[in-house]
Amino acid sequence: MDNNKKQVAYYPGCALLTVDRAYNNSARLASEKMGIELTPLQGYNCCGIGEMKSKGAASLYLPLRNMMLAKTTLGSKELVMSCSVCFHEFTRAVERVKESEEELKAVNVIFKEAKEEEYIPDGRPRHILEFLYNEKGPAEVRKNTVRPLKGLKVAPYYGCLYSRPSMYTFTDKNPLMDNSERPKFMDDFIKEMGAETIFYGNEVQCCGGRNLIQDEETSFRLCSQTLSKAKKAGADVIAVICPKCAGGLDVNQPKIVEKYGKDSELPVVYITQLMALAFGFSKKKAQFPDMISRPVEILKKKGFV
Amino acid sequence: MDREKAPKRPVAEKGEHIIARHMVEDENLREEKNLVIDGVDVSGRWNTFILSRVDSDFDRSFFREIKKTVVGSRINRCWQCGMCTASCTVTPLYRRFNPRAYIYMMQLGNLREIKKYIDVAWRCVGCYKCSQKCPKQVNPAEMMEALALLIKKYFPEEVESKLKDDEKVKKIYDDMILGNGRLNLATLHTKSLREMGRGMELFSKVERDAIFKMIKDGRAFSVLMLGKSSGWSKSRKAIEKYLKNVEGMERIP
Repeated sequence: MDNNKKQVAYYPGCALLTVDRAYNNSARLASEKMGIELTPLQGYNCCGIGEMKSKGAASLYLPLRNMMLAKTTLGSKELVMSCSVCFHEFTRAVERVKESEEELKAVNVIFKEAKEEEYIPDGRPRHILEFLYNEKGPAEVRKNTVRPLKGLKVAPYYGCLYSRPSMYTFTDKNPLMDNSERPKFMDDFIKEMGAETIFYGNEVQCCGGRNLIQDEETSFRLCSQTLSKAKKAGADVIAVICPKCAGGLDVNQPKIVEKYGKDSELPVVYITQLMALAFGFSKKKAQFPDMISRPVEILKKKGFV
Repeated sequence: MDREKAPKRPVAEKGEHIIARHMVEDENLREEKNLVIDGVDVSGRWNTFILSRVDSDFDRSFFREIKKTVVGSRINRCWQCGMCTASCTVTPLYRRFNPRAYIYMMQLGNLREIKKYIDVAWRCVGCYKCSQKCPKQVNPAEMMEALALLIKKYFPEEVESKLKDDEKVKKIYDDMILGNGRLNLATLHTKSLREMGRGMELFSKVERDAIFKMIKDGRAFSVLMLGKSSGWSKSRKAIEKYLKNVEGMERIP
């Protein structure tokens, strides 16, 4: 059986190995069912999480070092990742050095100084949602669904960096990629699982995640808008694809409810958790109890766990 | 409806009805409270007049300085269409946050204007809507990073007084990412709150519940086990050397 599985290099990232293990573990369970084995990159380093951008070529070096690591240790030019922020940092670095020879030269000076191999612009970072959609497709989700999530209303939340900006992610430009204004990959997956998708208008809005710590006030306001809009549209849960969005919507939810009222109270789950549940894994395996916004209650009410 | 009982509308402030009021300086605004011209009463907002603005103290050398940085390398492409401000997430929340105007100030090197917006310029949430909509691929989202570099270089005292918290958190990120090559989210959270003088919040019920939950389900342990990136010390030295030798605003003294 295992020989039929496609093996790909996988970048876990700092959040997914620690506090957001729910996303990491469920992504691996769901991909495994769909016939893809995610091989984690050993000895990885942080992507820079948007806070290093003002450090010039050093901000490009951080992700590219991982691309090099994937090439040398796993022999893969493609690197799959689940976190949208990591995905953004990787695409940014890869596209920038492809475009500007000057920046490539500056990065390679750092590589040389660190006694590492020179980077040749040939890597391709991929987001797990786009990867599963293009490699396996929604039909594979339907085939593996043993516990249809009938009657569950899911509000997909794509956030910013999965689809924006097109100059890095190639949304709208490459026909294989998603649409930046009305992304649909998550919607298709949700429909194939037997659940219902909700349109609520805030799918590609921002959660204020970049200043989650420094500027809580802004983040709370943006998150409460998204949560209350989804709730008003009748959603049972909101599905996210980024640990930083989950940080704003899920981890900070008690504080948001305290400030903006019960309108902003809505369970948050990762899309891969729903996939793992639909594919027959238990709630514990899909790690629903990890979420602070208590999605288990609604899933129990609907009879899925 | 009984007109007499309706609350009386307060008299408008000078120039209050101008949409982008903050963009107009007080001394450029003319408005007479009582004015009759040719027998027609044009008191108040009917005679509002904005004197045209003249920018004379600009310095194009900033332009070259910003162009040298990685984040600001496309500043020359901007033609001031305003799509960035129109699509911005932050502008509706803070009216004085205006990416188009900031880029214009940077193009002109108008430090006098930039100084007025230091307290709000750092609020960019990095959603990249502006870069998505920009017809010239200026990448305004990253231009805001260039603006931060410029502010840090030319207004260190203002940064010290107004942006203390932001800088403190940024420093924690820097130290952690460059130090270990990995980001420890639990330490980041607790340390930032303490550095911002909000350490007491860690004892609130919400925080206590979250910490207890993570200890119970074993996530607290995995945070401790995160460790370092392999062979990171060489990379760290290389990055530090680069940041010392780079020319321009990205350089760290």
